[in-house]
This record gives sequence, structure tokens and C-alpha cells, in this order.
Amino acid sequence: MKISKDARRQARQMFRASLANGRLDRASVTKVTDMVIAGKPRHYLQALKEFARLVRLESARRHAIIQSATALVADEAQAIADRVHSNFGSDITTEFQVNPALLGGLRVQVGSDVWDGSVRNRLDLITQQL
Amino acid sequence: MSTILEELEQKIQGIESSATTKSNVGYVREIGDGVARIEGLSAAMLNEMLEFPAGITGIALNLEETEVGAILFGDYTKIREGDEVRTTGRLLQTPVGRCLLGRVVDALGNPIDDKGEIEATEFFPVEKTAPGIIQRKSVSQPVQTGIMAVDAMIPIGRGQRELIIGDRATGKTTIAIDTIINQANANRTAEAMGDASFRPLYSIYVAIGQKNANVARVVKILEQNDALKYTIIVSAPASDSATNQYIAPFTGAAMGEWFMENGMDALIVYDDLSKHAVAYRQVSLLLKRPSGREAYPGDVFYLHSRLLERSARLGENYGNGSVTALPIIETQAGDVSAYIPTNVISITDGQIYLETDLFYQGIRPAISVGLSVSRVGSAAQIKAMKQVAGKLKGDLAQFRELAAFAQFGSDLDARTKAQLDRGQRIVELFKQSQYSPMPVQVQVVVLFSMQKGYVDSVPVDRVKEFQNQLMEFFSTRKEALLTKVLEKKQIDKELEPELIAALDEFKNFFK
Repeated sequence: MKISKDARRQARQMFRASLANGRLDRASVTKVTDMVIAGKPRHYLQALKEFARLVRLESARRHAIIQSATALVADEAQAIADRVHSNFGSDITTEFQVNPALLGGLRVQVGSDVWDGSVRNRLDLITQQL
Repeated sequence: MSTILEELEQKIQGIESSATTKSNVGYVREIGDGVARIEGLSAAMLNEMLEFPAGITGIALNLEETEVGAILFGDYTKIREGDEVRTTGRLLQTPVGRCLLGRVVDALGNPIDDKGEIEATEFFPVEKTAPGIIQRKSVSQPVQTGIMAVDAMIPIGRGQRELIIGDRATGKTTIAIDTIINQANANRTAEAMGDASFRPLYSIYVAIGQKNANVARVVKILEQNDALKYTIIVSAPASDSATNQYIAPFTGAAMGEWFMENGMDALIVYDDLSKHAVAYRQVSLLLKRPSGREAYPGDVFYLHSRLLERSARLGENYGNGSVTALPIIETQAGDVSAYIPTNVISITDGQIYLETDLFYQGIRPAISVGLSVSRVGSAAQIKAMKQVAGKLKGDLAQFRELAAFAQFGSDLDARTKAQLDRGQRIVELFKQSQYSPMPVQVQVVVLFSMQKGYVDSVPVDRVKEFQNQLMEFFSTRKEALLTKVLEKKQIDKELEPELIAALDEFKNFFK
């Protein structure tokens, strides 16, 4: 769907209204969405789609994805989650994924930043250097 | 104490062998036409190289609120929506150095001539800031194009930017190729003579949006004239993506800068910047940048100014190197007031304007004397050339004006008639066949014969024959005199009688 300039502007306004202390506020997001759906302004569907994208990107910034080659035992996962919270703040959400392609080690992604300590990454680096 | 040291060393070792790398990633949201829009990449920098899957690279050109617009090098059809892209923290680089001489490379410096890998040890960023005011020096050394009309009337100096402008098929590329061939001839002669003071000029020919057949023809001509070994050819033909065509001249400039920064001289031909502007327009429109006049983006002037500003002559304290640029612009139906031609005319230090009418009248190179100008080159002209060609441009301009008036009346006074006769002969002398550049000492002798009136008695239709025989006479019988002209670089009281005596001798010989 092509999103018009007006819809983008509207979505940005909705997004700004959903922030509390610079962080995304779940209650505000729901309230803003309900108000727009009820009011049905022009291009509201486009605006909602763009708003959803902005919310998704903002949520990703406060969401940590921890990938490992094999499933982590509960203690390990808890220890990693604690480290993530101590480094990035307690409001950060964590998600554990199993990715056998990593071969070993961990890959942590918070927003756009990736800390890659996997065996796959090491092999890729060696390949590049050679 | 030793425990502390061990601990410290362990920590350093831990840092060095740390296998964890930090990078910034994003995901492809849209891909097509060599352009990608990427979500994420929150830490991407402008012009930073991006790493796509399958070994494809790109450059971040648009940094937006939630997205990054990037151009891609390579086969973008291998990239899918959702693919991961990562920043590299590096700028786009190209191999530089002498190892590139004699080679044909693509817009990224990869060889495309089947002559094997290029073993470059140095790399330069493709986009680089031009040398500043302190590093520069004014133009003072000549670039001999080997084209008599140019060297006599529109002289070019090392570090100058001289635009070659004209309609299609008026001989723009030929002037550039002639210049490259002449540099190769001069380099070869100096090498043979073992002249240590000679500063060789290396050439770089950047083909942008040209037909592959044309590039192959240029390579062949340079090979035939043994000029390829002093030349680098950067080719981004019409079949290449717009991104490659956009980056190719910057790659060429980086290669030229290596020569300049290492105290050598280089000449770059950008063939042509009209097509470069079109490629940049395509990239900009695909990146959804706002368009301006003729749909070109607002920064099309900056595109060419930052490219041409990289041509410079550095001072002695900075290596004394130079990069001379010969950008080419193709006009439509002689319209020099179009957007891109006016932009490039205002950036460069002069232009060689080629006219279709003159070309079809048989005046080749079809240089329009009135519209062509060199703003800084006269400072670089050798004294001997100044002595013989000082008034030529004025004489020729007057001749054109008089010739237009003379069409309407038959009664002409003796002075006007003499001016017309002289003008006709100068025009004949300046006719020169392609790919046969003339050494400067020969040009001086030919123009000296004109100045001293030796050509006045020769019928117009035999002027070319006179010139050819004169050149043969001097190069076979008076070679020492030609060498003297080249060494002295001026016609002094000692040399002038010798030249006159030689010309008198030739006049008896020429019937």
C-alpha cells in the first residue's frame, strides 16, 4: 500500500502522542489507536499502518534477541537476561532463539546493534581476511 | 609486580583475541533498480559502505528518520526483502598505483581486460576532499595536447580543468585521445633520451555511459599508438548500472590523486559528464530525492564541482604533483545554455567548443575560436609558442568576422584582403588529422613560418602540402634545430636567424 505524505505526518503525530518520558507507552498506543479508529480521519488506514511500523521499530529498539546454536538451559538464559537488563535497562524485553547456523556461541541484537560472538561469525571473518 | 603485569597482559590478550564483534544491522525493506531501502542501520554514516548478502556492497546515500537509502554495486537481483545488511565503518575504496597503468578496470577498480589480477598495495577512498588553498599552486607547466589549434590558442596547463564541449560526432573524444597519445609520445621520447628533468604525464580515461564498442575502439587506438602503457581506462559503459556510472569518475579521480600525491602528474578525461549527470539523476530519482530543473537533483552542481575540484596543482612543499582534468560535455543542437553545460562551463577553467558546421566544412578539429577559451593555461605556455602564436587567436577571430562581411561585397581594400588571405591560411594550417598529435617544437616551426610570411605566397589549397613537406624537411634534415627549439623553449636572437635560414632553404626546395 502506498502511504501518502499526509498519512505519514498523521502517523508521526500518533507516535509522538504514544511516548511517555521518551519511551513507548503501551496504554497510550492503545488509546491513540482506538481514537483514530473511532474518528476515521482521512487516510486513517494508511496512517495506522505507518504507525504500526513506527511502533514496531521503536519496540525493536527496546527488545533484545539472543540467539544460540542450541537451546540454553534456564540458568544460562537467566544469567544472560540479567546481564542484558543491567546493561540496557530493566524495561528491555528479551527473546531467546535457537539458530543452528551459528554453530556455537551467542549473538545478541538490541535494535540495530548486534554483538556477534558466534562461531559462524568467526569463520566469516577468517574467510574475509583470507 | 609481576602479578599485575601478568594480569594486564592477560586482559590485553583477551581484548585482542575477543571473538565478539559489534556491528550495526538493518533489514532490506525495498529493493529494485540498483537501489535499496533499509530499515534499521541506526548508526549508518553518510557514504559508508554497507555489506549485503552474497558479497554485494552498497553505499548509504540517504539517511532518513527510520530508513536508509543505499545504492548497490553488483547483481542486486540476488538480494531479497528481509535480507540482513550491516555497516562496515569504511568508505568505498579503489586500488591505486602504477600497477593500474595499461589496464582496463570497472567502476570499482576490478580488472575487465583478461590480463589477470591487479596486485595493488594501496587503496584510496573514492570520495575525497579536494586539496585546500595552502597546498595548491597556480598552473605553470604546460600539457601539450599535440593539437596545434589548442596548444597555440587555448593552451592547457598541468592542474587545469579544460572542458571539451560540442554536439555529438564533432570530435570531442578525438581531442582527448590525441592528448593522451601525445603524452605517451612525449613520455617515450624522454625515456629514450634519459631526460631526468622530464615530468611524465600519466593518463586516465573514464568512459561513462559509452557504448562498449566505443571503449574497445579507444583501447585499440591507444594500443596501436603504444599509449596504453601510460594509461588507465576506467569503464562504466551504458550496460552498467547507473550506480556504477555515477561512481566511475570518482574512481578515476582517486587513481589520479595517487599520482598527484606521489609527486607525479596525471591527466583525466571524463567522457562524458552529461551521461554522468543523467546516471546521477536516475539514482537520485530512485532514491526519491526531490528533483529540480530538468528533473536533476538539487546537488547536481555539487556533484560536478566536487569532482572537478579534485584536479589541482600542488606546491613544491606538497610534492609538486598535479591532476589535469578534461571533462567532456555533449550538447544538444549546440545549446550551451542548457543546465548541465552551463554548470560545467562555470566550474572549469575554460572550454574548447567544437562546432558541427565547422566539422562538416572540413575544419577538423572543429574548434570554434570565438567561444573557446583557456582561463589559466597561457601562464603555462612555453615562451617559443607565445612568441609565434601571440596574435593568432585575434587574427583568426578577425578573419571570421571579415569573412562573413566579405560574402556580401566584392570590392575589398588591400589590408582586408591580406587579412582574409592570412586567415584562410591559418585555418588550413590548423587542420589536423586525428590520432596524429604534433610535437610542440614542430608546431613552433610551422607557426614561425606563418608569422614570417612564408605561407602567404603558397596557394590556399597547397598550404597543407606545404606544411607536411616543411615538417618532413625539419624532422629529417634539421632535427638538431628542432631539438634546440625544444631545449631553449624560446626563439632567441641566436635561434631566429637559424630558423629563417632553414625556412629559406626549404622555400627553394618547395615548388
